[in-house]
Amino acid sequence: MVNATLAPESTERAARDRSAGLGVRVRARRRRRQAVVAYLFLAPTLLFYAVFLALPLGFAVLLSTSRWAGFDLGDIDPVGLDNFAGLFADGSTFLAPILTNTLLFALGTVALALAGSVLVATCIDRLRFQGLWRTLYFLPIVTTVVAVGNVWKYMYQPGGLVNGVLNAVGLGSVAFLQDPDTALPSVVVVQAWASVGSAILVLTAGLKSVPESYYEAAALDGAGPVTVFWRITLPLLRPSLLFVCVTQFLTGLQSFALIIVMTKGGPGDATDVAALEMYRQAFSYGDWGTASAAAFVLFAVVLAVTLVQLWLFRRKGEDA
Amino acid sequence: MTPSLSRRHFALALPSALLAAGCAAPHQGTGRPGDPVVLTLLSHYASGELKKALQGPVDEWNALHDRVKVRTKAVEFTDLLTTFMVRQAAGQGTDILHPYCLWNGQLVRAGVLRPAPPEHAEEIGRAYGAAAVGSSSVGGRVYGYPTEMQTYALYYNKRLLRAAGLDGPPRTWPELEEAAYRTARQDRYGNTLVQGFGLSTFDDSTTVGQTLALLNAAGGRFVSADGRSTAIDSPAGRAVFDLERRLVDRGASAPGVNVYQAFASGQVAMVISAGWWTTNLKALMGTAYREVGVAPVPLPEADGRRATLSTGFMLGVNTASEHPCEAWEFLRWLNADKVRGTTRMSALQASVGSLTGRADDMRRLLGTGGDPNLHPFLDALAYAVPEPNVPGAQQAKSLLRKNIEALWTGQQTVDEALRSTRRQVDQEVSRSW
Repeated sequence: MVNATLAPESTERAARDRSAGLGVRVRARRRRRQAVVAYLFLAPTLLFYAVFLALPLGFAVLLSTSRWAGFDLGDIDPVGLDNFAGLFADGSTFLAPILTNTLLFALGTVALALAGSVLVATCIDRLRFQGLWRTLYFLPIVTTVVAVGNVWKYMYQPGGLVNGVLNAVGLGSVAFLQDPDTALPSVVVVQAWASVGSAILVLTAGLKSVPESYYEAAALDGAGPVTVFWRITLPLLRPSLLFVCVTQFLTGLQSFALIIVMTKGGPGDATDVAALEMYRQAFSYGDWGTASAAAFVLFAVVLAVTLVQLWLFRRKGEDA
Repeated sequence: MTPSLSRRHFALALPSALLAAGCAAPHQGTGRPGDPVVLTLLSHYASGELKKALQGPVDEWNALHDRVKVRTKAVEFTDLLTTFMVRQAAGQGTDILHPYCLWNGQLVRAGVLRPAPPEHAEEIGRAYGAAAVGSSSVGGRVYGYPTEMQTYALYYNKRLLRAAGLDGPPRTWPELEEAAYRTARQDRYGNTLVQGFGLSTFDDSTTVGQTLALLNAAGGRFVSADGRSTAIDSPAGRAVFDLERRLVDRGASAPGVNVYQAFASGQVAMVISAGWWTTNLKALMGTAYREVGVAPVPLPEADGRRATLSTGFMLGVNTASEHPCEAWEFLRWLNADKVRGTTRMSALQASVGSLTGRADDMRRLLGTGGDPNLHPFLDALAYAVPEPNVPGAQQAKSLLRKNIEALWTGQQTVDEALRSTRRQVDQEVSRSW
């Protein structure tokens, strides 16, 4: 009896199971089909990333552990970590002065551009015709680096505009780009000048987002302009400052064009930076292994500097 | 064959096919019997007179030859080496290359240049001067026909020398120094009004060219005979570095000034440079060019043996070329066959104010009525020392430039600059072999 009564139930269950299994399979098939369609839609983007990001990155990894002159893909000769060891070997100029110059260049640029842009953005925020001022300060961004570099190079020349002004006030001429002590700071000034426009744009937008009520409350409490700037404006600008700081640092660490136009890395090694050295190693000397290894070292430096900046800002309570 | 295997094969075959299509060999004609072979030639004669000058003989060849045609491709000089690299890596290397001889070691080591066949090597060795043959050779083996040759000599401004009470150009280093100090002038702010002797940081070739011309004149060499180490840390090297440091320290030279503009403006009394500059100076200076004179590079002592630096280009055949015999035949026709007493290449170079390593051709082409300032460069073909072209030569040149600049700006003493150059260049040159 029991068997007789159970038999239809088990048959039903089996049928339900079969039907459920069928449903699962159908759903799974549908999901697979949807996944295929999704991947088909994603394919152009994935292909783009594969061709322009994954492939070059993989090739760069391969080259950084190989010796290759740049001519024949069949001549790529694996050398392990020799290229990295060579960069930091005794007598190599990569760590000092090249990497040191790179960091000083980036640090100097960020410091100058940040200070200048905060000052100018604060002033612009109190002026009429703000759009006009922002446009004026943004002009260097839309000018080619080659033009900027060449104009400044002529201004720095002995007998150029800058020395002309110095001479006019009775001072002697300075060999800005020819003296190893002044060459790097001189190029830093130009890079900061050229990048201050974009920083001003970001900071003026940041200033607009500071609620007016804070300033009104400060005015009621009798706070002066300096106190207002240090206690209200600057802390509330922190998100914008973080963005400017990170992007300017990234630009500074990878800078290449301005230096090749103004000094070609000279005099001696005084303004040689990592990106310029990588370019020379690959395209002039045909040492693609060393160039790729240098690129990864620079990447590590950029990553470390960015993480340190994020950490510093987060410690101050700013969530990037 | 299972479906999965088929898919795997397809997955492997697709990228391979794409790569093969992308990296296919350059078009070499239709390949049908009877159709002409098309040779490609990549040079830096990309614009203006140079482009026209090269196209003339190429058009002549194409009109005269039905079986083999030549097609020129050109890029700016600054992009030339990179273009060689990229095209070669992509399997798109041209049949004929026109490299700067400084790169020859690098190109030979990378297996790009094909050695000249014996009959061509013999012709080159017989017809060209030693400097031209040396520039086109690596490890004693000839790799191409030398084309333009540049020798270095002393340009001087006759008016400035006269104003300083000097009758003519200096012949020795003491005379050079004396003339440099007498002609140099600065204003009260330290701005250089006239450089006595123009040392310049304009670029690698300018900085290093001046120094190597003086080094060769002093009997020294930058790289040892076997090409595996530097030879600059020598009495001759020390003498050159000493001389240059003195000139800068005493205000007779201002390396930061663009010497090419300053000389044309009458703000440099003397400067060492290559022969190509005469054409530019004529165009820039107009009638003032008559005040420009050219003399051999001064020697340390009056009774010294003359020497200077030479640099050059050559035409060679790609190892990847499918038609090397045709390519060499075209090069022989262009560089060795004579028309009205000179080769087509010599006529081409003379037409743009340059020289080839065939001194007899150049004498005939320059004649007696040409620019007398070109003759010192022509004479120098007989005694010039070719720029080193060992593997790693480009990097060695850059390292030398850095050390020279460090010397001129006081970052390094003469001893430090010599030691540092030797250490850095030795390391790079030995690594490149």
